[in-house]
Amino acid sequence: MGPPPDSARSLLGLAGRYRNELGLAIAIVLVLGITLIFNQDYLKNPGQNVKDILQQTSLLGIFALGAAIVIISGGIDLSSGSVIVLCGSVCALVMLVLAPYDIFKGTYNVRDVGLAVVLLAIFTAVLTGFLVGTFHTWLITVIKLPPFVATLASLVGLRSLAKILNQQVTAQLGNEQTTVRADDVTFGLLRQWWVALLVFLVLGFLCWLLMNRTVIGRHLYAMGGNEEAARLSGIRVERLKWLAYSLGGMTSAIAGVLFVAKIGSANPSTLAVGYELNAIAAAVVGGCSLQGGVGLIPGVMLGVLFLRVVIDAVAKVVRAGSDDYQGLIVGFLVVLAVAFNELRRQAGGQRKELFPGLLGLVTIPILALLAGIVVYDLSGPTARGLQSGGIAAVCTLVVLLVCKFLQGRRQATG
Amino acid sequence: MPELKSIIPAIAIRHVSKRFSGVVALDDVSIDIMTGELHAICGENGAGKSTLMKILAGVITQYEGELRIRGMPRHFRDTRQAEEAGISIIHQELNLVDQLSAAANIFLGREMSGRGGWIHNRRMEQAAQQLLDELECPIDPRQPAGELRVGDQQLIEIAKALSLRSEILIMDEPTSALTEAEVERLFRVIGRLRKRGVTILYISHKMDEVFRLADRITVLRDGQLVKTLPRHETTRTEITHLMVGREIESVHFPEPRQPGDVVLEVQGLSRAWPGHARQWRLRDIHFQLHRGEVLGIAGLMGAGRTELLECLFGAATDPLEGRILLNGSLVLFRHPAEALAAGIGLVGEDRKRLGLFAQLSVRDNINVCTLHHTTTVGLLSGPRQRRQAEQSVERLAIKTAGVEAPITSLSGGNQQKCILGRWLLTNPDVLLLDDPTRGVDVGAKAELYRLMDQLCRQGLGIILTSSELPELLAVCDRILVLSEGRQTAEFRRNEATEQKIMEAATARVGGA
Repeated sequence: MGPPPDSARSLLGLAGRYRNELGLAIAIVLVLGITLIFNQDYLKNPGQNVKDILQQTSLLGIFALGAAIVIISGGIDLSSGSVIVLCGSVCALVMLVLAPYDIFKGTYNVRDVGLAVVLLAIFTAVLTGFLVGTFHTWLITVIKLPPFVATLASLVGLRSLAKILNQQVTAQLGNEQTTVRADDVTFGLLRQWWVALLVFLVLGFLCWLLMNRTVIGRHLYAMGGNEEAARLSGIRVERLKWLAYSLGGMTSAIAGVLFVAKIGSANPSTLAVGYELNAIAAAVVGGCSLQGGVGLIPGVMLGVLFLRVVIDAVAKVVRAGSDDYQGLIVGFLVVLAVAFNELRRQAGGQRKELFPGLLGLVTIPILALLAGIVVYDLSGPTARGLQSGGIAAVCTLVVLLVCKFLQGRRQATG
Repeated sequence: MPELKSIIPAIAIRHVSKRFSGVVALDDVSIDIMTGELHAICGENGAGKSTLMKILAGVITQYEGELRIRGMPRHFRDTRQAEEAGISIIHQELNLVDQLSAAANIFLGREMSGRGGWIHNRRMEQAAQQLLDELECPIDPRQPAGELRVGDQQLIEIAKALSLRSEILIMDEPTSALTEAEVERLFRVIGRLRKRGVTILYISHKMDEVFRLADRITVLRDGQLVKTLPRHETTRTEITHLMVGREIESVHFPEPRQPGDVVLEVQGLSRAWPGHARQWRLRDIHFQLHRGEVLGIAGLMGAGRTELLECLFGAATDPLEGRILLNGSLVLFRHPAEALAAGIGLVGEDRKRLGLFAQLSVRDNINVCTLHHTTTVGLLSGPRQRRQAEQSVERLAIKTAGVEAPITSLSGGNQQKCILGRWLLTNPDVLLLDDPTRGVDVGAKAELYRLMDQLCRQGLGIILTSSELPELLAVCDRILVLSEGRQTAEFRRNEATEQKIMEAATARVGGA
C-alpha cells in the first residue's frame, strides 16, 4: 500500500487532533440510535423532544463553558450552582424592588416592570457574577487559598446568602418569602427554548475565539500547563486568573437569569443544587484535564450535549423521572470518560490486569451489587424485579470472576 | 582495580531490545557487568542509558532479550523484585517523600515494627543514624527529607540501598546537582562501597568522573552498544568520539570578541533573607555587563547565582536594595513582564519546571512570549504563528519533526534551544542563562556555546551561570564569583583558572 494521498492524510491528521470531539459526536449519534430502537417516544413528538434536549443542554452548557475555562487555566470552580442561585435571586429581586406602583389597583405591578428594569436586572445579575469571580481571584492570588477551598466556601456560603437576601428584601416589602417570583411578561420571553440555545451558541463561539484565536487564550493554556513557567515568560498570571474566574462567575450568572426565567421564580432551596458538579463533569467528559492546560471548547460543548442526551435517553427508556438517574449517569460517564483516556494513555501494548489481588476481589462484588440494584430498580417494585436484580448481580459476579481468573492466569504464564 | 572475584558476571545483559511505539530505544545490547567492578555507561541523551537502567531496576518490564543476575535468568516484574535480587537504583531525580524524616525514607515500605504491629521509630532512627554515619552524612535522621540539601538527600537514597544489602548499585548522573565538596564525599562513599564488594553501574556525561572512577567503560549510541573498553586502554577523546560518533569541535572560540558599551549595571544590589542565619540572599553586588560579552557567575549551590538572576529579571518577590541600570537608566522590575518589555530574557535553571509547557507544541513553546507579533486584527493567525516558529527552528537548527510536534518529543538540548528561541524573538539586549546546559548532551552543548558566541557578536550581553567550571572557563569573557551571597572575586578570561575560582567560591565570608 502506498502512502495515503495528501488530502486523506490531512483529513487523518484532523481526525487525530480532534479525536476526542469525533468520539463524542459518534457516541451521541449511537446513543440516540440505540434509544430509538428501544423506545419510539422520540418519534411521537420529535420537535418538542429536540427542543427540550437542546434547552437543557444549553442551560447546563452556558456555565459549563465557564467551568471549563477555569479548569483549562489550571484551577477549579466549585461555586457554579450557588452563583446561579445568587445571581438568579439578585435578578428577581431587582425586578421586584423596581416594579412600578399601580395607582389604580394600589399594588406593585410585578407582572409588567418594563424592558429597562428587566435589562437592569440582568445586568445586575451578571455584575454579581463578575464580583463573585473577582472575590475568588482575590482569595486565590492574594490570600493564596487553593482554588478548591476558595470556591468551596462560595458553594456553601452563597446559597445561604441568596436565601437571607431574599427573605430580608421581601420582608422589607411587607411579605417575607424565601422564594422570589419573577413572572414579568417581558422577562418571561427568555423562557423560550431557542433563547438558551442562542446564548449557548454565541457564548460557545466567543469562548472558542478567546481560547483558540487570541493571545490571552493561548496564555491561559500555558498557565494551566505550567504556571511558574508562564510567570517567567512574562505572563501576568494574576490577571489571567481574574479573567478565568470572572468568566466562571459571569457564565453562571447568565445561566441563573435563564433558569429563573424558565421557572418563573428564584428559590434558593431547590434551584441548581449540585449543578457545579455537572458542569465540571461535562468539561471532563469533553476532554479537559483537571491538571489544567488541556481541553477544547468544542469538546466541552459536545460533552454537555452527550451528558444531556444520555440522561434523556435513560429517562425515555426507563420512563421514570430522569432526575432519579441523573446522578448515577453523570457519575458513570465521568468515570468512563476519564478511565477511557487513562487506559488509552497507558496502553503501551501492555495488557493490564483489571482486578488485581485482594482489591480486585472486593471490587467485583461491588460492581455486581451495583448492576443488581440498577436492574432491580428498572424492573419495578415486583417480586420479579427482585428476581431479575438477583440474576443480574450473580451473572455480573460470575463473568467478572471468570475474567479475573483468566487474566490472572495469562499474567502468570505470559 | 580490585580483582574480579568470579567469572560469572554480576549482571549479564544478553541481546536486550526495547521499542517504544515504533522507536527503537535499545537494539540488541549485550553487556557483562563483572562482580565488584565499577562499570561506567556513557552516551548522549537518548542513547538508551536510562532505558537499560529501568529494565535492570524492574521499572520497564516488557522487553526482548535476557537478563542474568549472577548467572540466573531473571525477568523483573516490578522494582521490588529487582530490590530483592539485590539491585538498587539511585535515580537522577530523587525519589524521596519530602515530608517524612530521613529515617522514615530509608525504611519506607519496610518499616520496622514492634509487638502488636506498632511502628518502631526509635529503632529505625538508630539504624538510620548508623548508616548515615557510615556515609559521612552529618544529618539528624529525624529531619524531614525535604529540608535537606540535594547531596544529603542522595546519601539517604544510598543509605536505603545499603539497608537493603544491595550488591548491585545503579547510579544515574549522581553528581549533576552536587557541590564540589559533596562530589568528593560521594566519591569517598563509592570507594568504601567498592571495598565491600558492591558492583556499581555508573551513568554519567562527565568524562572527569568516569575516568577517575571506572574500571570499564561502555559506550551506547542511538540504542546500540558501541564498545566496552577497560579504562586504562582508552582516552577521553576516544570515548567522547565514540559517544557522538564525530569529533566535537573545540568550544574555544577562534577570535576574541570585542565588548561594546555597558548595557547593564548593578550597583550595591542586596536581597534580604528574613529568618535565615545568613540574613542576605545577596549582599552588595556590583558589576557591569557590556554588549557582546559573556559574563559568567560562578559559585557553589546556594551561593546566590539563581537569586541574582531573579533580581535582574524582576522575578524576585521580596524587596531589593541597590540600583540596576539598563542602558544607563534606572530600572525596577516588579514582574518578569516588565523585564521582558525592557529587553531582558531569562532561561531558567530547571527546564521542566520553569521553562517548558509540556502540553503545548513546539510552535507554542517558541511563540509564547511574542504571540502578539502573530496576530491579525487581534486574532492569532495560524500561518504567521507557524512562520515565526519555523524561522526560529531554522535559525537555531532545532531538530524536530515540525513546529506542530509536541515539545516533549524533542531531546533535552533541542527543548532548551526552543526556550532560547522563545527569548530571542523578544529581541533582548540582555540574556540571562541559568545553567542552560544542565541535562543537555555533549553535542548539543557545543552547539549552545556556538550560539552564545554568535549572539554576542551580534551585540547581545549574556550572563551565564553554570555548575561546571570548565564550561564557564571556556565560554565567558569575565567570571564573577559568589560565595554565600557575596561577591568574592572577579576574573578576566585570561587570568581565570579552576583553582582560583574554587578558592574564591569557597572563601569564608566574615559574619553577617
